[in-house]
Amino acid sequence: MFDVSTLLILIPGVPLLATLVTAALGRWVLGRRSHVPVVAATAISLAASLLLIAEVHHGAQGWHVPERSEGRGDSANHALRSSGRATQCEDQIGYEQTVTLWTWAAVDQAPRGGQSHLRGENAGWPRHDSRAAKTGAVPTGRDDAASRDFRIDVTLRADALTAIMLAVVSFVSLVVAVYSIGYMAGDPGYWRFFTYIGLFVFSMLMLVSVSNFVLLYVFWEAVGLCSYLLIGYWYDRPAAAAAGMKAFLVNRVGDFGFALGVFLLWTTYGTLDFHDTVAGGAVTSVGILGQTRLADPAMFATGATATAICLLLLLGACGKSAQFPLHVWLPDAMEGPSPVSALIHAATMVTAGVYLVARCAPLFAASADAGHVVAVVGGFTAVLGAVIALTQTDLKRILAYSTISQLGYMFLGLGVGTVLGVTAGMFHLFTHAFFKALLFLAAGSVMHAMGDVIDIRRLGGLRRRLPVTHWTFLAGCLALAGVLPFAGFWSKDMILAAVHEKAGAGGALYMVLYFAALATTFLTALYTFRAYFVTFFGVEKVPEEAGGHAHESGRAMTGPLVILAVCAVAVGAVFGWTHGFADFLRQTPSIAFLDARTAPMFDESQPPATAHLAIVVLSTVAALAGIALAAALYLGSGAAVSRLARVMNVLGLYRLSRGKFFFDELYRLVVVRPLAGLARACSWADDRVVDGLVDLCGRLPPALGSALRPMQNGMIQFYALAMILGLLVLFAAVFL
Amino acid sequence: MGNLLLATILLPLAGAVLAFGPRRGARAVALAATVAALAMAGTLVFRYPVGASGEFAVFDAAWFGADSSIDIRLSVGLDGLSLWLFGLTALLSLTAVLVGWESIRQQASAYYRLLLVLETGMLGVFAARDIILFYVFFEFTLIPLFFLIGIWGSSQRRHAAIKFFLFTLAGSVLALLGLLAIVLWDHYHSPAGQMTFSIPRLTENLAAAPIPTGVQLWIFAALFAGFAIKVPMFPLHTWLPLAHVEAPAAGSVLLAGVLLKIGSYGFVRFVLPMLPDATAICAPWLLGLSVVGIVYAALVALAQSDIKRLVAYSSISHMGFCMLGLFALNPLGIQGGVLQMVNHGLATGGLFAIVGMIYERYHTRAIADLGGLAKRTPRLAAFMLLMTLSSIGLPGLGGFVGEFLILLGMFQRAWTAAPPAGALPLRVISVLALSGVVLGAWYMLGLVRRVFFGPLREPKRDPAEPPVADLSAREVMALTPLAVFIVWIGLQPSFFLDRMSPTLDHLTGEAQRREVEVTADERGWTQMDGRAQTTLANGWHAPRDEGRGISANHALRPSGRATLAFPLSHPRPSAFIRGSTLLRTTTTAPLTPTRTKP
Repeated sequence: MFDVSTLLILIPGVPLLATLVTAALGRWVLGRRSHVPVVAATAISLAASLLLIAEVHHGAQGWHVPERSEGRGDSANHALRSSGRATQCEDQIGYEQTVTLWTWAAVDQAPRGGQSHLRGENAGWPRHDSRAAKTGAVPTGRDDAASRDFRIDVTLRADALTAIMLAVVSFVSLVVAVYSIGYMAGDPGYWRFFTYIGLFVFSMLMLVSVSNFVLLYVFWEAVGLCSYLLIGYWYDRPAAAAAGMKAFLVNRVGDFGFALGVFLLWTTYGTLDFHDTVAGGAVTSVGILGQTRLADPAMFATGATATAICLLLLLGACGKSAQFPLHVWLPDAMEGPSPVSALIHAATMVTAGVYLVARCAPLFAASADAGHVVAVVGGFTAVLGAVIALTQTDLKRILAYSTISQLGYMFLGLGVGTVLGVTAGMFHLFTHAFFKALLFLAAGSVMHAMGDVIDIRRLGGLRRRLPVTHWTFLAGCLALAGVLPFAGFWSKDMILAAVHEKAGAGGALYMVLYFAALATTFLTALYTFRAYFVTFFGVEKVPEEAGGHAHESGRAMTGPLVILAVCAVAVGAVFGWTHGFADFLRQTPSIAFLDARTAPMFDESQPPATAHLAIVVLSTVAALAGIALAAALYLGSGAAVSRLARVMNVLGLYRLSRGKFFFDELYRLVVVRPLAGLARACSWADDRVVDGLVDLCGRLPPALGSALRPMQNGMIQFYALAMILGLLVLFAAVFL
Repeated sequence: MGNLLLATILLPLAGAVLAFGPRRGARAVALAATVAALAMAGTLVFRYPVGASGEFAVFDAAWFGADSSIDIRLSVGLDGLSLWLFGLTALLSLTAVLVGWESIRQQASAYYRLLLVLETGMLGVFAARDIILFYVFFEFTLIPLFFLIGIWGSSQRRHAAIKFFLFTLAGSVLALLGLLAIVLWDHYHSPAGQMTFSIPRLTENLAAAPIPTGVQLWIFAALFAGFAIKVPMFPLHTWLPLAHVEAPAAGSVLLAGVLLKIGSYGFVRFVLPMLPDATAICAPWLLGLSVVGIVYAALVALAQSDIKRLVAYSSISHMGFCMLGLFALNPLGIQGGVLQMVNHGLATGGLFAIVGMIYERYHTRAIADLGGLAKRTPRLAAFMLLMTLSSIGLPGLGGFVGEFLILLGMFQRAWTAAPPAGALPLRVISVLALSGVVLGAWYMLGLVRRVFFGPLREPKRDPAEPPVADLSAREVMALTPLAVFIVWIGLQPSFFLDRMSPTLDHLTGEAQRREVEVTADERGWTQMDGRAQTTLANGWHAPRDEGRGISANHALRPSGRATLAFPLSHPRPSAFIRGSTLLRTTTTAPLTPTRTKP
């Protein structure tokens, strides 16, 4: 009933429609029912995404991992037509299908000669013919391989990676949208909130389904805009307005790198499409990640160019996914409403960077150095985020640093660069989306009940007052800490396995990263349960802002919490144990390509839990130790904590962690202040020097005039003398 | 159609004659005239045939008589270059009339008359097909704006008006000098014997028999001085912030939205087609100046405390992008540059209109006096945000398309087309230009945050007065058309690009080819003529597409080979290949390009 192309259009199309409806009717017609279009649209998108997964799975049945040395026939065989069911090609790498909607922009590269210059009003013939007619060339077809014009089609793609991202995004969006009905109830900007959410859902769905770097960049910035609008949703709060701007600007710095990367891709590959363009049975344009190139890895650029491209793309990814050194915006972004933090700043938008790197896995495979950088950035950020999270007192900020840390984990997995690494990174993205959204929504529920107080020092013993929030939060904590059999355990374990495998294959770097990741596991369990114990255990503390009637949130909010809690408990076991996730994801062309390149280093037929018993035991011990330490410190009296803090303070660690390693201050000192000073200097110079020179030119004629004015002194004798002198000079000039 | 075009240009002038009497009558006439002109201009613009590279809606009548030895004509027409600028002028004129609707009280009829005369001048500049006519309309725009600033401006209006006038007059005189030099050179070197001022004829004559490079450079200097002041390019820009700050809102809208484009328009209309060699030689210097302008003006904007000054400097920065695109000298850059002129007109015109609306309400332009206006005037804030986002190049809005194409063109030039030795400065320029985008976001979003977000802060008002109102229907009317086009260009740029590209290719093709020749000569690349099949090795970049030597991007592998075809029939059948990569040249057909496997 629904073929792939219909589904692909439907999935982002319906949220767009809902956004437009809410924007147009929200204020006056829908009012407090403004959530209806967006909730309905995300539900439809979710259903369509699930159907799409089924379709992709079905379409990819004929897929197998090709041999590397396999001879290639006519490249047309590799490509799929843009409509209809996919043909099953024996030698296709992975499964993909594209659907082209319309041409966004096209610029002919070759300037035309000025010979047949059209005149008059009926000169409107199509560009195809005019070109051949003008150059007089044998028409070889507009799309032949030699004429690589700049052409951006709005093309959507279906493959396993996209299908999974679509499902995750639409699922979390639906849950968060339902939760927001309760959380945002009574807010004067209710319709505005849901308009922004709808716009975000549309942009995010498009981001993961477009098949072109330009459009990826377009929606990359579009989700950034939604983030900006939603962080500054309560725009009359100066902190929110400043945080929105900070997020946008830091992302702009990342996008600076991303754009540079895209430009370099263009100058290197001459196209910006992911896919091959097929016309008349032949490949007319070899996409950057298309079948033709994947089948022949030598077609990827190597060396410095490849490394530069990858590092620039990584800079973009670091901006969006809040990785060191561009992680500073995410904690501030918590000024936005809690559902926004859950949806955008935990589950979906911030994972766009992970998606980007996974999508570009073949590019990173072409540059080992870039892969190492990804792994190091990820590993470092994982530790950094975890250390900072230990001492924060704002519940949402603890979770924000935790997100930074967990995203670092994902990057670590991607940086390994093997199939296992990339699927592990994506799997962690998948499980993290559920449990981190859950934690943020639960934190939002706490805030809601406590009159918007979120400082954990002012909260305590809330487990009786907020039972549902408590239990769901606990499920999220266990998943985040990576305790068997909760979701986070499976994905974290896969990443550890991938890093360990790489370390085993030689590379002290990865051994260091492996231990860093283990340490992060311990720290994660520690800060998570610190927050949990302080908030929900001990003496009951309810701030006065709660107004004396703090109670559990309504069903619109607890329902989503319960659903997400079930996911946080189960998704890891269901998809991790069965290998369902990894097997499905490996049908993605970009990842299947890695499969073809790298021989598997361990037997994948066995579940990792048994294959890597040592890793499992180590990580579980680390996690349990973290929980135990948290319990020892925070369930007892505060004496132990302050003693530990004092010890750490002697080492300077406590202050560093508490001050978030002073990155904000550092950037202000090194970047913002000097630039602002330079700006003032330029402004001064513009007024005084540049404009001063102009005014000087303006004063020149009057000055010259007044210098010559004494000559006009009215004395006949002087004039006569001047005449004679002049004549003498003239004669001298003529006769000498 | 030609008559319709002439009528569109003259209609505002007729309106100016009729707009006498009290304020209400005059402004009604002005509104009617601009609406009618917009409708007619819209008809013309949307009837323009896609793919046409020649002129459209030509009205042509001899001025000095057909047998005169001097051929000066009353000749107007539209082509892909002038089309959207013409439409933009008609659109912004309506906005300009509407923004001063309530605030202009003294000498209103004179105000509207000047505004209408200005509109005729601007429409005429873009449509003129004759150099004398172009110059007449050019000056026509100068005088009304001089009075608009000098009479209805704010405190320092006299100084600003005189500075504006002298600066631009000096520029236009130099430009006239350059244009006359072109006419005279053509006259003495063409067999026709008639001195022609017709722009299309001159373009064709000079393409066939180019001016010697040395002479071109002198003429280039004169035209550069004239047009660069108008754009304005660093360091000739200081008249602009002053004029903007002092001008009434309508003046600022038209100044930023339309009048600056006359400078960049002049470059594409005259300099690139008529002085291709000088353009190719000077292009790197102009690129350098442009990028200095982009970054410098952005930094200055960052330090401003006056809303209007900030937007004025942002305008200089963005016009730097336009010039960067034009002098990248490849189709991506040039089309991006021309599209960016339109985008800039819409977004910055809109921004100045909004600043005018704020000033009308609070009588201040100081950022420090204002805050949290989104609470008081949500609709105004929404429009402000839209214009801001377009101006900082947010995808989905017009500004992105222009900036992206410009930067893509610039990167292509710096990475693939340039010879290795000249590449580094060009690469630095490209990257610096991109950093201008980051700075742009900083100062514009900073402005929005300080003025519109945070707690409400308004200047002290008489408590008896009613609180400031949000946008009226009239003001929404003034801004909505701009917003519609901003979104339209962002979502479907091909609609706009397809209508301009054939003309631009035609006008700038010569300069683009010269640019390649200049770099090829410098680097000693091999030149080939005729139809040839060339096998390349070790070449990332091969000449492409019918052998005109515009080196572009081929997805050749580092050690790959490609077979390329060059048609014999092309007017300039030369191709340039880096010498070391040339393996084998044969002169056989067939012409089907194939990618050979290793």
